[in-house]
Amino acid sequence: MEKVWIAFAAALAIGLPAIATAWAQSRIGAAGAGTLAEKPELTGVIIILVAIPETMVILGFVVAAMILLM
Amino acid sequence: MIIRMAKVEIVGPKQDLLAALDLLHNRGIFQPDPQLLERVELARDDRLNTHVLNEHELHERSYFQNLYERVSTLLELLPETTDAISPLQSLPVMDLVDELVDQHLEKVREQDRILTDYRKEVEDQQRDLAFWQALEPLLADLPQDSNLELLGITIRDARQLQALEELLQQRTGGRCHISSTTTTDGALIGLVATDRQTAGNLHQALTDERIPEMSLPAEFANLTLAERIAALHERLKTATANCRRIETQLLELSHRWRPVYRRALVWLEERLTLYRATATAYTTRLCFIIQGWMEQAEVPGLQIDLSQAFAGRVVLEQLAILEEDLDQVPVMLRNPGYFAPFEILSRLLPLPKYSSYDPTPLLGLFFPVFFGMILGDIGYGLILLIISVFLAKRFAPQQLASDIGKVLGVASLYTIFFGFLYGELFGNLGETWLGLHAYWFDRGKDILPMAVFALTVGVVHILLGITLGALADLRRHQPRKALLKLAMLIVVLLSILAVVSWLYPQSWLNTGPLLIGVAILMPVMIAAEGLLAPLELLKTMGNIISYVRIMAIGFSSVLLAVVANRLGGMSGSIMVGILVATMLHAFNLLLGVFAPTVHALRLHYVEFFSKFLDLGGRRFEPWHKRPS
Repeated sequence: MEKVWIAFAAALAIGLPAIATAWAQSRIGAAGAGTLAEKPELTGVIIILVAIPETMVILGFVVAAMILLM
Repeated sequence: MIIRMAKVEIVGPKQDLLAALDLLHNRGIFQPDPQLLERVELARDDRLNTHVLNEHELHERSYFQNLYERVSTLLELLPETTDAISPLQSLPVMDLVDELVDQHLEKVREQDRILTDYRKEVEDQQRDLAFWQALEPLLADLPQDSNLELLGITIRDARQLQALEELLQQRTGGRCHISSTTTTDGALIGLVATDRQTAGNLHQALTDERIPEMSLPAEFANLTLAERIAALHERLKTATANCRRIETQLLELSHRWRPVYRRALVWLEERLTLYRATATAYTTRLCFIIQGWMEQAEVPGLQIDLSQAFAGRVVLEQLAILEEDLDQVPVMLRNPGYFAPFEILSRLLPLPKYSSYDPTPLLGLFFPVFFGMILGDIGYGLILLIISVFLAKRFAPQQLASDIGKVLGVASLYTIFFGFLYGELFGNLGETWLGLHAYWFDRGKDILPMAVFALTVGVVHILLGITLGALADLRRHQPRKALLKLAMLIVVLLSILAVVSWLYPQSWLNTGPLLIGVAILMPVMIAAEGLLAPLELLKTMGNIISYVRIMAIGFSSVLLAVVANRLGGMSGSIMVGILVATMLHAFNLLLGVFAPTVHALRLHYVEFFSKFLDLGGRRFEPWHKRPS
């Protein structure tokens, strides 16, 4: 039973930040696409901005991996 | 690095202003900045005013402006040619240009008008011809009767054809026949046949229903359809020949005169630019003064040039850059050999201010290392190295592709290096086939040590950033800010050591004194910077934790590579296995290029540069001649 809870905790640890990241990236991506229509020279900056919320899912991934392995 | 700039003042007699501006324009190394003079005490002197053109100069400018507009109009009307710009001396040619431009303009306008008429005629003939040619097959179905009247119509909507036929039958008492077809351009057209007595009713019906009839010139009215088509062909041939003749005449004129007019236009443009540039100069009753910016290393050369050209009448003096000028100093970045290609990464950010740092050398040092740390695989590194060599060699003339190739090349070398340390060649394939083993971390298993290593990299990087920030504050003569950054650096260091001593207790490392140190420094920071100080500390800690992505993305890359190898091995067939593994490794390599690039850049732009980089500098844009 304990293993089930560990797996569930790990799934939550990565699942919730993944949803949050997806939501944030969808908003930034939409705004970024609008920006690029007017200023194509900002492509690099927009890519970086879209990557910023990935911190959440990356940290979630690290926590999940630690829950499973430690 | 940020090139050292000089603030300069050029002074000379008023009558030499245009010639001095011309020299500066030709050298292309000076950026005027009239706002500099507005800020200094000198500008409050009533005798110093912005330069106003005298009557002769105004007359000359108006003459050149008028000529420029006429030449521009002529060049717009003349057809494009590939002839090079004329090497003729501009000023002597200008009188000739002034004389000829009106004649040529009149001639070209007239020919352009005739050509437009001919082109319209060709278009009409082509449309008519397509119409009647499409109707020709329908004629075969009709009886040969001299009493027959034939009308061509255009049908807007295919769905209304049935209703139209019923309507026309009704209006002509059933004495008409309609058949339809499509032209080569897809339009639906119809041929209506009726006898000559009913034709009047039919015309009226078509007019009432607003159905366009195909009209022909009066002289074609009595011709049979075959004769009409032949006559239309003949007309089209004549109109096309007329078009060609006028086009050839215009092209000949263009070949002969376009190079001369282009040369004249360039000269006029430069001359008018000079007149506009006089607005950047200040003048007294006898002298002019221009202030601006140029590269420090170019100052002696320009001083000599001015002295020789004006026999010492115009002089250039270097002024001290004041503290209030610092935000206005234009910025020019130039990096030597190895670092130059990394400018493609620093150009994604706004320019740094003059008193800040050029981020390019730091990106050149750290970006490939972070990329290698994240990807870290000998196999992927070798593939990227081949791609980078191909890019750098094949696209050598194209600066961007060549620079991408060079940056990727350096990054791939670090990827190979870290691949050796991690013992990875296409994931665990090197271990299985070649007996490779990790010399440092086995990323598939040593998750915690790898995370600690990534965080350590973060600590070093962020502390370096804070140190650079403190040094930049010192350069800007802001010692208080520099001291605050130093206090922040010590607090971060003590906090990290306290965490380490708590997690891994050592006899020589006591948590208590470290926390006391933090407790002493925090109130000092709050007193100096307010409540933002603890927030800044938290932000810095967050920045450091963000470096754990070096481990996380690397770990996911290893797992994907291992999955690719396992799936390949599970297929049961060597060929299918190789195909599956190759496809998955290709996908992983694609991710392996994109993810490390974006995340290594993000660590620099968001975490590292925010500690010291002051962005928002003005680009150095010297006056220069437009390449002709």
